Parts: sequence; structure tokens; C-alpha cells
Amino acid sequence: MSSRRSSRGAISEEEINELISKLQSLLPNARRRGSGQASTTKLLKETCSYIKSLHREVDDLSDRLSDLMSTMDHNSAGAEIIRSILRS
Amino acid sequence: MRGPTAKAFKQGFLRSFLLSLKSCRTGDMSLQERKRAVRSSADAAMATARGGGAIWPRALLASSSSSPSSSSWPGLLLNAAKVKTTRCKSTARRCCRPKRSSSEMIARRLVRKRTKILRGMVPGGELLDSVSLLREAMDYVVHLRAQVAVLRRVSNAMHHMAATSYLTGLDLSRLAQGLLHRVCN
Repeated sequence: MSSRRSSRGAISEEEINELISKLQSLLPNARRRGSGQASTTKLLKETCSYIKSLHREVDDLSDRLSDLMSTMDHNSAGAEIIRSILRS
Repeated sequence: MRGPTAKAFKQGFLRSFLLSLKSCRTGDMSLQERKRAVRSSADAAMATARGGGAIWPRALLASSSSSPSSSSWPGLLLNAAKVKTTRCKSTARRCCRPKRSSSEMIARRLVRKRTKILRGMVPGGELLDSVSLLREAMDYVVHLRAQVAVLRRVSNAMHHMAATSYLTGLDLSRLAQGLLHRVCN
């Protein structure tokens, strides 16, 4: 991050707003919102939902991978594949 | 995350992930055990590939490891981030101020509640002040997305590879080269 705290050690309101808008732009369905606590609450809520959905995706993909790996283990191909990838 | 940083992270993640899976001996595991092993390998690899520029990687590794050294990480964390006690002082000052409108109080309460929930979702969030928490959450989200992207490409490529080798009997190591190239680019 390029923004730094002011020399007093506290963070300025400007920096907080910049942080909030950067976070806003990361989330899906990023829309322009006004400042204020109602939108901060919404931002926090959407961030939590987004992290939760990303966790779910990782879970699903891990499940899928572990199923694929069990298929490959039966063919005794899994270890060979991983070895050859790491060799390259 | 910009181009070269994203690519370096994805490659580092993939390498750590595959190494971890390899050392797991997943062939001997039950289905549930293997699922857990894959998930924790993915998280450990994401944290390792991120490195020291944020708090959440250390917290993530500490929560998944059972080694005694992991109990010391909160101390390291407090040196790096703002301590929570400074927040408590300003809260006490707020309580002494004249009463605000109830809608403002409700809004504040909601922000506090949501912040608390977010704290629980970001590794290491419990020890951070709210501003550091927002920075960590941003960094964490960006790397979670990269983790999802790599895992998706790996599972698609592995699926394709398994189907192809079954149908054609092609040399698996050559297919594996293709996987590495596709996943990291």
C-alpha cells in the first residue's frame, strides 16, 4: 500500500476514505456509495459475505481435487504427475 | 494484485500446494481426511506464498500448525500491529460525551457488530485495530481470489488430464507439463 500514516502517528480521515473506497472496489457489484456509517456497515457486511463465499469456493474446489486425486491414486498416476510437475 | 506479483504468488502457491500434498501420503487416507488435508494444504500454501507483508499469513499458519512455536505468534503480532488497548481509551472518552441521536447510536452499534464479524473471518483479525483490519481484509481477499483461481485451474487441468490419459494412454508426464504451464499463466 502506498498510503502511510501521518507523522503524528494517527491515520487521517482522507486515508480512511481511501482505504474504504479501495475495499469497495474489490467487492463484487461495486457501486458508488456516499460516506457515512450506513454505507460503512454495508461495506463491512459485503466484505464478510464475500470472504465467506470465497471460503466456500476453496472448500468446494478442495473437495473436487481430493476426489480427482483418489481417482488418480487408483491408477498410481498421482505421485508421478506431482513428481514431474516439481521437476520442471 | 498486479501482473508479475500475481503470477509470482500463483506459482509459489502452486509449488507449496503440490509439495504439501505430496508429503501428505493422501493415498492412505479416508475421504474425509483427504478433503481436510487438501484444504489445509491449500491454506498453508497460500500463507507461505504470501510471506511476511501481512499479518494473516502468520495467523493462518499458526492456527493450522500444532507446533509449540505457534503459541508465540500473538507476541510477534502485537509488536507489528497497533495494540487494542489504545482503542479502549478513545471508547471511554466517547462514553463521556453528551448523548447522540439514537439512530447514530444504532449505526455505530451496527458498525461495531459488523467489524467484530469481519475480525472473525480474517486470520489474526482479533488482535488488530479497525484500520489495520480493513487493510488485512483487502490483502486477504485479493489472495483468496488468487487461491480460488489456481485451485480451479488445477482441478480443471487434472480432470482433463485424467480423462485424456484414460482415453489415449498418452504419457502423463507430458500432460503434467501442460498443466503447470496452463495453471501459472
